[in-house]
Amino acid sequence: MVEYLLSYLQAKDYLVFLVTSVAIYSIFSLGLNLHWGFTGLLNFGHAGFMAVGAYTTVLLTLAGLPWFLAIVAGGLLAAVLGLVMGFSTLKLREDYLAIVTIGVSEVVRTVVRSRAAEPLTRGTLGIQGFALPLEQFRPTLVTRYGMMAVFSLVVGFGVWRIGRALLGRFRSQGRKPWITLGLMGLVGALGLYLWTVCLESIYNFKANPVQAGLMFLSVIVLAIVFVGLQLLVKSPWGRVLKAIREDEEVARALGKNVFAYKLQSLMLGGFIAGVGAAFSAWQLSNVYPDNFRTDLTFNTWTIVVLGGAGSNPGTILGAVIFGPIVL
Amino acid sequence: MESIAQQIPQLLTNGIALGSVIALSAVGLSLTYGVLRLSNFAHGDYMTMGAYFTWTLNLMGLNIWLAMVLSAAIMVGFALGAEKLLWGPMRAKRATPTTLVILSIGLALFLRNGVILAWGADSHQYKLPVESALNLGLVKLPFNNFLVILLALGAIALLRYILQNTKVGKAMRAVADDVDLARVTGINVERVVLWTWVIAAGLTALGGSMLGLVEAVRPNMGWFLILPLFAAVTLGGIGNPYGAIAGAFVIGIAQEMSTLFLPVEYKTAVALLIMMLVLLVKPQGLFRGMM
Repeated sequence: MVEYLLSYLQAKDYLVFLVTSVAIYSIFSLGLNLHWGFTGLLNFGHAGFMAVGAYTTVLLTLAGLPWFLAIVAGGLLAAVLGLVMGFSTLKLREDYLAIVTIGVSEVVRTVVRSRAAEPLTRGTLGIQGFALPLEQFRPTLVTRYGMMAVFSLVVGFGVWRIGRALLGRFRSQGRKPWITLGLMGLVGALGLYLWTVCLESIYNFKANPVQAGLMFLSVIVLAIVFVGLQLLVKSPWGRVLKAIREDEEVARALGKNVFAYKLQSLMLGGFIAGVGAAFSAWQLSNVYPDNFRTDLTFNTWTIVVLGGAGSNPGTILGAVIFGPIVL
Repeated sequence: MESIAQQIPQLLTNGIALGSVIALSAVGLSLTYGVLRLSNFAHGDYMTMGAYFTWTLNLMGLNIWLAMVLSAAIMVGFALGAEKLLWGPMRAKRATPTTLVILSIGLALFLRNGVILAWGADSHQYKLPVESALNLGLVKLPFNNFLVILLALGAIALLRYILQNTKVGKAMRAVADDVDLARVTGINVERVVLWTWVIAAGLTALGGSMLGLVEAVRPNMGWFLILPLFAAVTLGGIGNPYGAIAGAFVIGIAQEMSTLFLPVEYKTAVALLIMMLVLLVKPQGLFRGMM
């Protein structure tokens, strides 16, 4: 058992892959957390947003667009999908959104894999061999040191924020301090080790530019999404969302346009899901329509519920627990 | 290649057959929604289970029609069990519609994987003597589709009789209209709930068995029909079983007709499109109000 675990720790490529996966899982789960955790929207079609985001990004990259423009376009198109779904359902009882999202995600998948769409999407064969970000990037030593510094800063900041949030929760529950401390120590040691592995991978960038580059990018994007969402959720806009979640009628009575807020939440969460899905397409370096079955939606739900819906640090914790189990 | 004008009558008949299957199950979905306020996403998987029980009994040498009736009985028992274990306690706790939706999706996943565990993931056919298709001049009607339409009409007539003429049916309509008012009037709501499940599960299992007759018996068969089902129920005005029947025929015929100018794979998209249009333009459905 111990040897087995140790062999895992020595497979450094795998660990970098794992860190990337967890970051990507966190990104698109944060989107669902905005829907369900903060606004109370029953989105059972997260895979639909992700399919649109991933396919748009990949197809635009194939058409020659640079990756950073392609991913933004993918996110925007996923947001448009949210607009379409939201427009017909958000004024009605909450079950309608569940029905329509689940339906739209299955229809998106059927359309993508259909024979008629084959000239564009290559149907069930999927798309491979598209350009990956930072593939041609060969940073100098100074750039690499810069990237390592940025990475460390971002990770350090994230650990501080998430750790503080989670520690506060543990403390308020009044657990025995030594159990918590022991656990924290173990997790801290593992985290420290992962951090050095990631730094090493950036340092040896040339050895595997795609892997190191994706790891770097996904962690940075996760940090941006996380901080952005935390700020939004604590802003007046986010407080309205939480009010809608708790009681729609109260928010309406206070003169808030509930429909508009819900629509914005659905679109923003969809954008985030699209961006996350583009990263996951890059990481696997392929897209298949059947990657976006409803199972994906339910895995995302598991992550959000596991970490505690309505908490962004919790969602990331959910991805940290869920990712290594399924991979 | 036949001309479009020649295809239309054939597609129309196919649409009516598909509509009959959808109608049988949509009635159940509409009843559970109207009486129990439950959007049951596991409804499609009740159909699947019904078809699998029919197939198993049929394989054991039972006559197919007898197998269908027995399978419906088994599914009624199953639905009553689910009511006692799951939905009843949840209603007693005053669970929100959201909780119920999530629970029903969980139940759907559980049942689908249970079917795969018990019967495997392959698709099957009933053991039936091969009947030649009826030649009705303009159209060819496979014998099975003919029976499906006939059975659906019979079941719908029976439903109408129960809802309009029996005491239980009248009580059901009262509960759907206003639970508290019905209770004050002295209607035993719990009994009505049980009867709703009996009718809904029986018709749904029958619909599933017939779907197996028209297509194949496979673990995903019901799940893929959940979208047309909800579309039919929404179109007919949620909670209105007669509306659901009308909606089912509209959806069934629209899906088949769409193959004239759309690839076959886009059939489900047609149901979704109709549903979203209805929600956008007339969310209360075509036939307003309860029963």
